[in-house]
Amino acid sequence: MNQPVEKEILFYLHNRAPLLFFVLDSKGHIVEANEHAETVTGIQLRGTPLADLVVDFSGTFNPGSFARECHKEHLLNIKTRWGLPQSYYFTFKEVRNQVLVFGRSDAEEIEGTRGKVQSLNEDLNNLARKLHKTNAQLEQLNRLKDQFLGMAAHDLRKPVSAIVHYTEFLLDEASEALTSEHVGFLQTIHSSTALMRRVIDDFLDVSLIESGRFHMNMAARSMEDPMNRSVALHRPVAKKRGVTLKVCLPCPLPMIPMDDFKIEQVLNNLISNAIEHSPPGGEVAMALSLTGEELRVAVRNAGEGIPARDLENLFEPFEGGQALKARGIRSTGLGLSISKKIIEAHQGRIWAENLHEGGAAFCFTLPMSPQNPTEQDP
Amino acid sequence: MKSADSMLNEELYQEYLKALLAGRHKECREKVQMLIHKGMGIKDLYTDLFQRSMYEVGELWENNRITVAREHLATSITDSLLNLVYPSLFATARTGKKAVVSCSVNEYHQIGAKMVADIFELHGWDGHFLGANTPAEDMVRFIHEVKPHVVGLSLSLLSNLDRLKHHIEVIRADFPQMDLLVGGQAFRWGGLEAVRSYGGTQYIPNLERLETTLAEA
Repeated sequence: MNQPVEKEILFYLHNRAPLLFFVLDSKGHIVEANEHAETVTGIQLRGTPLADLVVDFSGTFNPGSFARECHKEHLLNIKTRWGLPQSYYFTFKEVRNQVLVFGRSDAEEIEGTRGKVQSLNEDLNNLARKLHKTNAQLEQLNRLKDQFLGMAAHDLRKPVSAIVHYTEFLLDEASEALTSEHVGFLQTIHSSTALMRRVIDDFLDVSLIESGRFHMNMAARSMEDPMNRSVALHRPVAKKRGVTLKVCLPCPLPMIPMDDFKIEQVLNNLISNAIEHSPPGGEVAMALSLTGEELRVAVRNAGEGIPARDLENLFEPFEGGQALKARGIRSTGLGLSISKKIIEAHQGRIWAENLHEGGAAFCFTLPMSPQNPTEQDP
Repeated sequence: MKSADSMLNEELYQEYLKALLAGRHKECREKVQMLIHKGMGIKDLYTDLFQRSMYEVGELWENNRITVAREHLATSITDSLLNLVYPSLFATARTGKKAVVSCSVNEYHQIGAKMVADIFELHGWDGHFLGANTPAEDMVRFIHEVKPHVVGLSLSLLSNLDRLKHHIEVIRADFPQMDLLVGGQAFRWGGLEAVRSYGGTQYIPNLERLETTLAEA
């Protein structure tokens, strides 16, 4: 090879070629390096020990001993200016008290890996597309289910209400003309259809909530009104079960924005649950308190308490119902989840907790000054 | 829905393209999110941003102005950005019509075909996308399963024309009446006559034409 050609090759290797080239002194410090080595490492290399550039977990890197195996390639990882180490196959050769070091990257391996990563990325994106598509289909099916539920519940409510009212009428007006067995039949019809109407009402509420049409009629009200109405409604049932209802109201109660009929629905749900969970002779206590910016309502019962595993999911649809069902109490399993939606629409919180003295408390809060309180969809 | 011009001006487009070519995926994502937030329509986003930039990236690669690695990076970023559109894309009202869109064997450029499947979705069709490098037998099995009204085939490299023809022939053997749409950047260099010789096969040069075709369907 003539000298000018050799010179051009050396120039190219030194300034252009994408390989690493170092000349080390006897102590392993860099005496000379090519352009690419400086680009990859991003530092001034002259005087730097090569060992400083190598990611050496085992602490066994030794350029001198590597140079004695000049026929062998060593896979080493080099610290780069991009933060991530880069792998090179190095050969070391000792020449007149200096060590020549050449590092090459495996283009085939890099390209193969890049292709595979790209293919995995495409698979991931395609799966994400499928997931979005399936989600949209499920949402559509859910909307159809709610629509069907709403229509069915709406159409069933009228005839079921008629049965409840006519049974009430017969029990009030015609009991004396009937045998006690027939009165018992009527009472069973009445309680069964009343339960059916509650189920239908819950389904209608769920349908409205899911369709975003469960609107709140917010106005400044005192909690006293829905509380009194709810307690009055439950007194006969409580008396029948031998349960005492006790109400503790602070005086005076502030007027706060609420949909009082929806809040009454929540209270009805919590108080009826509390009565059903109280043993005969037990007490259900309703306590209202003012804490800072919130009004807090607690409904306590003296029952067995709630198993820890049920506490977390109690307000999920059908979960509360499962807990109640296990105790032999009839429930749609939707009451607590509807209550949660109502309270959240008021920007409040609702939760359940077991009491140290036994029994459980269902509590909710309503903010005194909710943000944008005029109309909230749950 | 606001017009594309009012949101995606030339300056913003050039900034996006620059970020795309530099591999700055976060910047690209932010720009697309901003456009979606401002109410830019999906069709405009696909044609005026994704399609335009990918055509430009393809040209830069064909003219040896960028490496294949950079072209793949830009494609991967664009592919991931399509996910931002999907929540609203799949929520469009359904027509009950179905399309299957696929790339033939050895075709690894999937993004164009995927955008075609998405435009079907935008028009209320079920746009099933089978991905890159799909064997003809797998595609036919899927067509039997889904029973689409239309099948779309994408060709990016003219060197794969014979494979595309094989796909068409395999489909025609089982579904002689099936409407076929073909498209892709490969047809800028030829191959149209070969594809048109198969009856019931229509060439769709870009997303705008697909839009028109679907609007007329």
